[in-house]
Amino acid sequence: MRKKLIWFALLCSTVFGALLATNSASQAAEKTYTIGTDITYAPFDFQGANGQYTGIDIDLIKAIAKAENIKIQLKPVGFNAAVQAVEANQMDGVIAGMTITNERKQQFDFSDPYYYAGEVMAVTKDSKIKSFKDLRGKHVALKVGTQGAAYAKSIQKKYGFTITEFDQSNDMYNDVVTGNSAAAFEDYPVMAYGIQNGIDLKIVTKPAAGGNYAFAVKKGENPELLTKFNKGLKTLKKNGQYDKIIAKYLGKDSVAKATATAKKQDNSLWGLVKQNHSALLSGLLQTLYLTVISIILATILGVIFGLMQVVPAKWANWTSSTLIYIFRGMPLLVLALFIYIGVPNLTGNKISAFIAGIITLTLNEGAYTAAFVSGGIRAVDRGQMEAARSLGLPYGKAMWRVILPQGVKIMIPSFINQFIITLKDTSILSVIGILELTQTGKIIIARNLQGFKVWTIVAIMYIVIITLLTWLSKAVERRINK
Amino acid sequence: MSAAENNRVIVTDLVKNYGSNEVLKGLNLTVKNNEVVCMIGPSGSGKSTFLRCLNKLEDPTKGKIVIDGYDISDSKTNMNKVREGIGMVFQHFNLFPNLTVLENVMLAPVELKKADKAVAEKEARALLVDVGLAEKADAYPASLSGGQEQRVAIARALAMHPDIMLFDEPTSALDPEMVGDVLDVMKKLAKQGMTMIVVTHEMGFAKEVADRVVFMADGHIMEEGNPQQIFDHPENPRTQEFLRKVLNA
Repeated sequence: MRKKLIWFALLCSTVFGALLATNSASQAAEKTYTIGTDITYAPFDFQGANGQYTGIDIDLIKAIAKAENIKIQLKPVGFNAAVQAVEANQMDGVIAGMTITNERKQQFDFSDPYYYAGEVMAVTKDSKIKSFKDLRGKHVALKVGTQGAAYAKSIQKKYGFTITEFDQSNDMYNDVVTGNSAAAFEDYPVMAYGIQNGIDLKIVTKPAAGGNYAFAVKKGENPELLTKFNKGLKTLKKNGQYDKIIAKYLGKDSVAKATATAKKQDNSLWGLVKQNHSALLSGLLQTLYLTVISIILATILGVIFGLMQVVPAKWANWTSSTLIYIFRGMPLLVLALFIYIGVPNLTGNKISAFIAGIITLTLNEGAYTAAFVSGGIRAVDRGQMEAARSLGLPYGKAMWRVILPQGVKIMIPSFINQFIITLKDTSILSVIGILELTQTGKIIIARNLQGFKVWTIVAIMYIVIITLLTWLSKAVERRINK
Repeated sequence: MSAAENNRVIVTDLVKNYGSNEVLKGLNLTVKNNEVVCMIGPSGSGKSTFLRCLNKLEDPTKGKIVIDGYDISDSKTNMNKVREGIGMVFQHFNLFPNLTVLENVMLAPVELKKADKAVAEKEARALLVDVGLAEKADAYPASLSGGQEQRVAIARALAMHPDIMLFDEPTSALDPEMVGDVLDVMKKLAKQGMTMIVVTHEMGFAKEVADRVVFMADGHIMEEGNPQQIFDHPENPRTQEFLRKVLNA
């Protein structure tokens, strides 16, 4: 039995390894470039009313890919995640309203610039702030890693304000709208587009410290992709397609049209559900998918580690204790970033966000599961093992027929609890760009700015699913305890 | 059968330490085929530890134990095989609460392929008849009284057809009115010629059933002999003191 368990553990790690290997192998075989984009950076990257990602960046890269005959796969994961994914070799390029800076040139190779934009400051419509001077002692909202943030920081000392940084443009805007921050800094076209589409702010400064937007690849990687981008951009500029794309989003007509659709939208709770039901449903499915796979794998891993804690073999006890200690001690968020960004950065092997997410949840939830599995086994009276062994039953048979059936009963409430925690923990994977329910909510809000209502819908969906999961688990518990 | 083959258990210079605490201090004991040996002595004298060393629920620190010709102090000996021939009955019964009475008795023979299921069930039911619990076959241990549980535990041990039975204070955890039933089963077993080592506080049982009584104190065997010698003419002052206390109580 003990040998069987070891074989099983080996098998599991082989399967994991194979998953990783096929993943990187398939990406090597096909010449499809994965390109990261932002998700809440209208008019460059955002989700249209129909749920499709759209914007200047998106249209541009698609047109260039077509002109240059290259295959691309767009990954709308957010600016920060996209930039890190390229640095970690998880993606081949990023187009996300990224300004060329000397600092970024250390890590990235940039294409020819495709847009010029300056930084502006926005405040609420009734704000008394008219210039940087009025910011003294006030609080300013910024978006992580953006040119706007860099500009604000460069003048922070001079004007004496404090800052908070957000991952999403929308969170930054809302922080100003709700009054937590006095002002936000953003690229002019983005800010202007947002305001025309209903963000309740006004621009109070002239565009300054401008920068050039460019497509970027990791320094020294994919030079052919960069060349093709530059060639394609030239073609588009020559044949007028470039101007058409810009006009589509920033022209007078387009703005009027967008404003009109925005006003027509039914922003009641039910209206929001109707408009976004397909996005919400697919987010929910992704959440369930992640949950079910992770629960299964974490349970297998947890039982193996749990048994390794109690078997009479020092090396197994020690290995298991160490692994549990590490994966239980690491915050889930850090573990997710470590596996998705950190490990590929070191090894150079790509790994999809979904698989990274599954591994993260499996290791973290598996460690917690192992702890209560070994606890449940230890809670079974010692005399049970002695009685079974005294009859001549080998350790494995005694464990399987006598100890585990009793231990499992003790563990069941912990299992149910762990299933619910796993479901909730999937939301943390939004940080690596997995389009599960929470990430879906973020993206919908980025478009319609209905924070309260959308989060209400998302929260209700979680509670409904958790209630169903709890019922299911309790039904199983009753059957086992019969 | 030669004299050597006639010995079921041979213990030589057995020492057991828990850390720096020496619990068994060099014990020697030989148990012959069909012999019933009762071990008596004050609590903490090492009786139970000695018994548990015989099927290696405790690892002896030093010394040699030979059971039915197997040297179990040798780490290469297959203990599972040896344990099949040694039944053990515990103070707290240790029935498996997740299995019915019948399943408790059948588990080991079926799992270890000593008999196919149908044969094992027939034998198990016969054993339950022997211990007077045929009607409890499908009950779970939780619904039994202590005395009933202990009789099932005896049937469970017997299902493996052991050559030797070890009893570790089998009646100490029972209500007084239950003790008789369990002792009756044990007497029957002794009459059938089972080799038995019984750690007990039941002096009446020891007097009536034992071929030999062993008195232990402080990790030593202080005195051994037939029941008349030990109970009527104890020689060792520790034995005398112990018997005075338990018999007058």
